[in-house]
Amino acid sequence: MNSVTPTINVNNSFASTDFFNSFLEKRSWEPGWLADFRKDAWDKFIALPKAKVKDEMWRFSPRARLGYSNFDSLKESVKQVTLLNQNSNGAIFETFDQAILNNPNLLTHLPNCTGPELGSQESFLLGACFSESGFALKVKKNTKETNPFICKHLAPTKNQTLFQQNIITVEAFAQVTLIEYFDSENESTGGNLTNLSHINLEEGSKLTRIIIQRVNDQSTFNHLEKVELKKNAQFNGISLQLGGAQSRVESRGVIAGEGSDFSNHSLSLGRRGQLFDQRTIQHHLAPNGKSNLLFKNALLDESKSIFSGLIKVDANAQNTDSFQTNRNLLLSGDAEADSLPGLEILANEVKCSHGATTSKIDEQELFYLQSRGISKTLAEKLIILGFFEEIISKAGSDDLVQMLRELISDSFTD
Amino acid sequence: MIKQTNIEVDREKGNFHYPTDKYAFDAGVGLSEDVVKYISGVKGEDDWLLNFRLKAHSIFEKKPMPTHWASKDLENIDFDVIRYYLAQGQQPSRTWEEVPDDIKNTFERLGIPEQERKFLAGVEAQFDSEAAYSRMKEDLEKEGVIFVGSTEGLRDHPEIFKKWFGKVIPTSDNKFSALNSAVFSGGSFIYVPPGVKLAQPLQAYFRINAENFGQFERTLIIADEGSEITYMEGCTAPKFETSTLHSAVVELVALKGAKIQYITVQNWSNNVFNLVTKRAMAEEEAEVKWIDCNIGSRLTMKYPGVILRGRKARGEVLSIALANDGQHQDTGAKMVHAADETTSNVIAKSVSIGEGRSSYRGLVQIPGHLKHCKNNTECDALLINSSSQTDTYPAIAVKGDENSVQHEASVSKVSAEQIFYMQQRGLNQTEAMSLYVNGFVNDLIREFPMEYSVELKRLIDLEMEGSVG
Repeated sequence: MNSVTPTINVNNSFASTDFFNSFLEKRSWEPGWLADFRKDAWDKFIALPKAKVKDEMWRFSPRARLGYSNFDSLKESVKQVTLLNQNSNGAIFETFDQAILNNPNLLTHLPNCTGPELGSQESFLLGACFSESGFALKVKKNTKETNPFICKHLAPTKNQTLFQQNIITVEAFAQVTLIEYFDSENESTGGNLTNLSHINLEEGSKLTRIIIQRVNDQSTFNHLEKVELKKNAQFNGISLQLGGAQSRVESRGVIAGEGSDFSNHSLSLGRRGQLFDQRTIQHHLAPNGKSNLLFKNALLDESKSIFSGLIKVDANAQNTDSFQTNRNLLLSGDAEADSLPGLEILANEVKCSHGATTSKIDEQELFYLQSRGISKTLAEKLIILGFFEEIISKAGSDDLVQMLRELISDSFTD
Repeated sequence: MIKQTNIEVDREKGNFHYPTDKYAFDAGVGLSEDVVKYISGVKGEDDWLLNFRLKAHSIFEKKPMPTHWASKDLENIDFDVIRYYLAQGQQPSRTWEEVPDDIKNTFERLGIPEQERKFLAGVEAQFDSEAAYSRMKEDLEKEGVIFVGSTEGLRDHPEIFKKWFGKVIPTSDNKFSALNSAVFSGGSFIYVPPGVKLAQPLQAYFRINAENFGQFERTLIIADEGSEITYMEGCTAPKFETSTLHSAVVELVALKGAKIQYITVQNWSNNVFNLVTKRAMAEEEAEVKWIDCNIGSRLTMKYPGVILRGRKARGEVLSIALANDGQHQDTGAKMVHAADETTSNVIAKSVSIGEGRSSYRGLVQIPGHLKHCKNNTECDALLINSSSQTDTYPAIAVKGDENSVQHEASVSKVSAEQIFYMQQRGLNQTEAMSLYVNGFVNDLIREFPMEYSVELKRLIDLEMEGSVG
């Protein structure tokens, strides 16, 4: 008989001891604790119970579409992320592998990272186990970084999967802006990128983080992040979700220190059969905290969005102000928006609210623009841009806002 | 009947006793096929109904508890120690002297008539309202309205009720609807003929010689084309029960242009699990309004729903929940849009006092092929003490660009400034708090019939006592 090259099924191979051992072999240059960490994650992955059909964390979600079965091998020859930064005030900004060699102390808390815990435990464990890319950023105490740190992530193609881990620490009273781009290597075939971010903001620090996701329209994008804020820390997140056949974003903001402020803004522009599955939690553990979430989705064609958000206020998180808003604009009869806003409030000195609306474009606005000689397509585009303006304007500097505005405007041309 | 838990529930309250040896009909404790057959036999039911019950029983056995989303407290229900059928005269009994003082006090404060007090306290099994009822009964018969119990309804009028029985809420809808379908008894079956508009609300306790507030009551109301009916269930006074599990199924059918208003006031004692399935079907231009007020019980899970099947149908749920120490009010609403131009409105207000917990769970569903559907949902929660809890879990699924949905929820606490202002005007703190809470739910309470709204206000005053300071 001819010897046939075995086709590797990722789920099978992930679960196979041989495959895992050969992976460890490949990364045998790593310190022992990291190998132990990977082994531990792999053991947990193997022990993961079979997914129940009715899981609240996956409500409304076509779960099979987001699984790993379509992207059936690990990416070979990993090119690490591209990092750009000018005139840093002594911050450390390195790729995952560089950090392992040069600054392993930045990674030593990895075993204590828990992730967002909003349903994608499989992605989280596989990411912990098989990540070969990503970056580490550490901004020094009391420094203000004026130039943004930029990271360009490349999603794989040829139905391959890449796992990444990013460890971001902003020390006390430091300030920084981080911009992350997610693009595909090329447009020809799809792939899966699973990206884990662990963000730690120490006392009084401030991070503005912008995500621009434009992976190609055959790809899957999994993004899992946990942001932990110490006393008076501030996080300002802005996400532009533009690409991908399907994406799952899980975000947990933990208001762990008194007076900290967590903002999470996101926009999605859905076309064709795109799926945006978004799960968030704003968890208040400490008093006097603030959090604000605004997710806007504009959906054309047969695209679909799922937004599930929870505000959780623990009993001693008194004087919390926490808000959550989800706005969906449906631009076609086949577009779908599912919304699961939630509140769990155990403290009484709070101001909390959530709102969710789903509607179409205001006929009058459309008519007004058309009566001025603007074509219907252009009028719709203008209205969508206006709808997104609220998110974009949170980016802060005028240059950044203008850059994002153009970026969205350009994404209409295809 | 409840396994031991760390939740403080006063199980001595009431202290009923069952003189079971005296009665002919006794299904014993626990649930089995034999019990189901026994119940069906006692009622002299047809084979189709027995088979319906047996099928429901097997579904009940198979269905898991919905604890993956609902309260884990459900696991404390021990189905093996529950009595599933109490025949006439086998109701628990006690003397007026045995009724606890705080209950007598409550009756006094609410201004419940003497006759009703004994009934509500369980001293008398039947509320005697013959005089009031007999005149009403004549009027109803003249109009062709059928108002009977579940057994009579299915036995005497199968041509009317069989068609819709178990159709709005299928047996397999959930574990507790299956349980009810297996062992139901009591409840009301009502048919209102085309064009008949009932001026007076119907109430279960107008019907004499019937099992009124059954443990597993089954209600089916059919409003034929263009008719109107208001039905009231329960009452504001606390109802004391030994049976710790109540699992009713209520089905409403509003045919073309009909209007149904269903009012519930639930004030079970706080050892009761109140797990109720309520759903309505609204045909073209029909209107269904659920008005729901939950004050009592240990755990209530109740999400009245409307399936808007015909064009321009309208569904509405107005809900008030009060959760005090040891209580969890898990209530909400379901609006399933299934035709063009359907509209729905949900307004839910909850108040959590002490260690009480109130939850709102909602579902709004609008599929893509529909046009001009609208939903509005508002949930407001008020937290009185620092240990009170509130949750909101709505689910909204909308497809297509011709529909619009809005949902708003807020959580707030009592404003210290307003309390201060009222105290400055000479009210003490408790009075001020009561007034505040009454103000919070006032716009919903106005929707209740007059006598109910007056009693509800007094009841809120009672609940607020001892909650501050």
